[in-house]
Amino acid sequence: MALFSPALPSTFSASCSKAQFPQKGRLAFFPKRSLSLFVARSADNGTGTTGSVAVEVNPEKKEEAAAPVAVEEKPEENKEAAVLESNGATVKTEVPPPKFLDPRWARGTWDLEQFRKDGTVDWDAVIDAEARRRKWLEDHPGDSSVDGGVVFDTAIIPWWAWVKRFHLPEAELLNGRAAMVGFFMAYFVDSLTGVGLVDQMNNFFCKTLLFVAVLGVLVIRKNEDVENLKKLVDESTFYDKQWQATWQDENAGGPRPE
Amino acid sequence: MAAAALSSAATATPARRHAALPSFAGLRRAPNAESLQLPSSTGRRGRGRAALTVRASNNPKLPAGRRLRVAVIGGGPAGGCAAETLAKGGVETVLIERKMDNCKPCGGAIPLCMVGEFDLPQDIIDRRVRKMKMISPSNVSVDIGRTLKPDEYIGMLRREVLDSYLRERAEKSGATLVNGLFLRMDKPAGPGERYRVHYNKYDGRAVGEPVTLEVDAVIGADGANSRVAKSIGAGNYEFAIAFQERMRIPAEKMEYYEERAEMYVGLDVSPDFYAWVFPKSDHVAVGTGTVTHKGDIKLLQEATRNRAGDKIDGAVTFRVEAHPIPEHPRPRRAVDQVALVGDAAGYVTKCSGEGIYFAAKSGRMCAEEIVRGSENGTRTITEADLRRYLAKFDKLYWPTYKVLDVLQKVFYRSNPAKEAFVEMCADEYVQKMTFDSYLYKRVVPGTPLEDLKLAVKTIGCLVRANALRNEMNKIGIYS
Repeated sequence: MALFSPALPSTFSASCSKAQFPQKGRLAFFPKRSLSLFVARSADNGTGTTGSVAVEVNPEKKEEAAAPVAVEEKPEENKEAAVLESNGATVKTEVPPPKFLDPRWARGTWDLEQFRKDGTVDWDAVIDAEARRRKWLEDHPGDSSVDGGVVFDTAIIPWWAWVKRFHLPEAELLNGRAAMVGFFMAYFVDSLTGVGLVDQMNNFFCKTLLFVAVLGVLVIRKNEDVENLKKLVDESTFYDKQWQATWQDENAGGPRPE
Repeated sequence: MAAAALSSAATATPARRHAALPSFAGLRRAPNAESLQLPSSTGRRGRGRAALTVRASNNPKLPAGRRLRVAVIGGGPAGGCAAETLAKGGVETVLIERKMDNCKPCGGAIPLCMVGEFDLPQDIIDRRVRKMKMISPSNVSVDIGRTLKPDEYIGMLRREVLDSYLRERAEKSGATLVNGLFLRMDKPAGPGERYRVHYNKYDGRAVGEPVTLEVDAVIGADGANSRVAKSIGAGNYEFAIAFQERMRIPAEKMEYYEERAEMYVGLDVSPDFYAWVFPKSDHVAVGTGTVTHKGDIKLLQEATRNRAGDKIDGAVTFRVEAHPIPEHPRPRRAVDQVALVGDAAGYVTKCSGEGIYFAAKSGRMCAEEIVRGSENGTRTITEADLRRYLAKFDKLYWPTYKVLDVLQKVFYRSNPAKEAFVEMCADEYVQKMTFDSYLYKRVVPGTPLEDLKLAVKTIGCLVRANALRNEMNKIGIYS
């Protein structure tokens, strides 16, 4: 982790500029929705096909006359089909859906020329712009074929720009933690086994311990992370259990008469 | 379906894996590992094998002049293939199907290997998809399928065509096809008795006439809402709901979908699965699926149409379909002389939601074990015979199911994960591995170096996408 510490051009705080975004006014125009993206979308983009978002209500729409829909058949074998009746109107948007606008966004990618500052591309600004675009799209998911599709790939932003932006602010904390944990682990190993710090470095077990410490500091950053990790373990074995049920059933019941 | 590749480091060829890790038993009990081989294939080795050989031939012989009679409930790919194999194996087979022209709502994509393995004629495949587009939440689109060879494709077919073809073939092999609705069945009353299957026989009439049929064994291939499963207490499974609209779109727009299928990922179209636009014979099927937000399915569907946007503009929906899709196998898939296959058993993969191939395959495997256990219909069968089918199926396909489950958990979790998923799929190596494992249903070993590169790349994608997500959250708070 010390790797990340050497001085990189440290202008990241300067570039977190938000005022320069022309669409800021637009963003403010759309009320912010929390949690449910679906609700936000169907109310915002004015497709006009669903007046309300309630699913239970059968949305008998006025436009249906214009767009004849023949529901030939519903699979009788599932109950869900009865609930999920057709809302099958043709896809017609009366109001053109809002489109993401930014002078630097052209032909499905960011025009890096416009991000140049002092001769180099200001990657922080690119990250900002892309985050903003994604946020906007999350609130107004729309036509995937606009501008012939998006070709912008976050991989073109060099790795050091990410490190500078997202790791360095945290690096101090993590480095400090790792050093503390490492020091005390070395201390305890020394006091328990009598192996000194220098000798510990020649020991495979101690090296492993060091690795575990660094990894632990990286993985567990907040207290909630422990819970999340536990959940993750449960989740990863859940499917196995579901599959094994067939065989466990037999084991539990003892040998079946065959 | 993308990237079974990811796992390639972990899952080598079945053969290699078997040699290197003999202790990996998948889901099998240890003794069954041996019983998977045909008795005649090799000499005796170990106790498990010996036990099997003895058991197989120990099944009581049926009275002279009577053959084993098996009822196959449900005439989909699983039922059709099971009936065909049974009939060919000399078992008296009755295939009961409620609706002969049933057109199940289903993506209808089959892997290439199915065409060869099940001898499907070329003309039942409506379309050959060679381009697959994946579209991420931020509308980044990636063409996958560039690595496909000219003769490789994903077959798109209509289920009514496939199902009736397989049924006809079963009938030609000697199975009896009955147009009837399975009602319930009674267990054998005592030793020497048989199962009594009750069904309503239609034969083209509107009102059914109740019929009772005595059979030695039953294969339940009657789909997600299986009555056979219910009647043997097979337990339930969690299911996803798939919603699909079939639309006719203007000819010039249809051109775009000539050889192309689209997959959309994102919270707006499905929180835990993907949405699709699949080309059909002369129209497209637009749909989405979810486990966690079943109540919102219509909104998700609307979002899907919205994302497809201009490409399906002017579409006229002529059919709306919804169907439950099992998420995992039922707790009990074989009880006494009743076995479940296909959707009834719950063989649908995560991540890709693919089930036709596995249904057909499980039907055939189950039938093969019945034929073997009964020595071509001359002996009775036991649950052990049916369990052999389960063991075989689990052994063969468990790695595939598990890999797809892991992929779904990692990459369908959240929008940034989906973003990373699409980004990763742009990689040629990923595409190659994905298609190899999808089309041929075998997990191919990759090159370790490439696998390592892929792992690094994957982590990179995930980290970048999550970093951007943090930034997006900040926008939500401060602006």
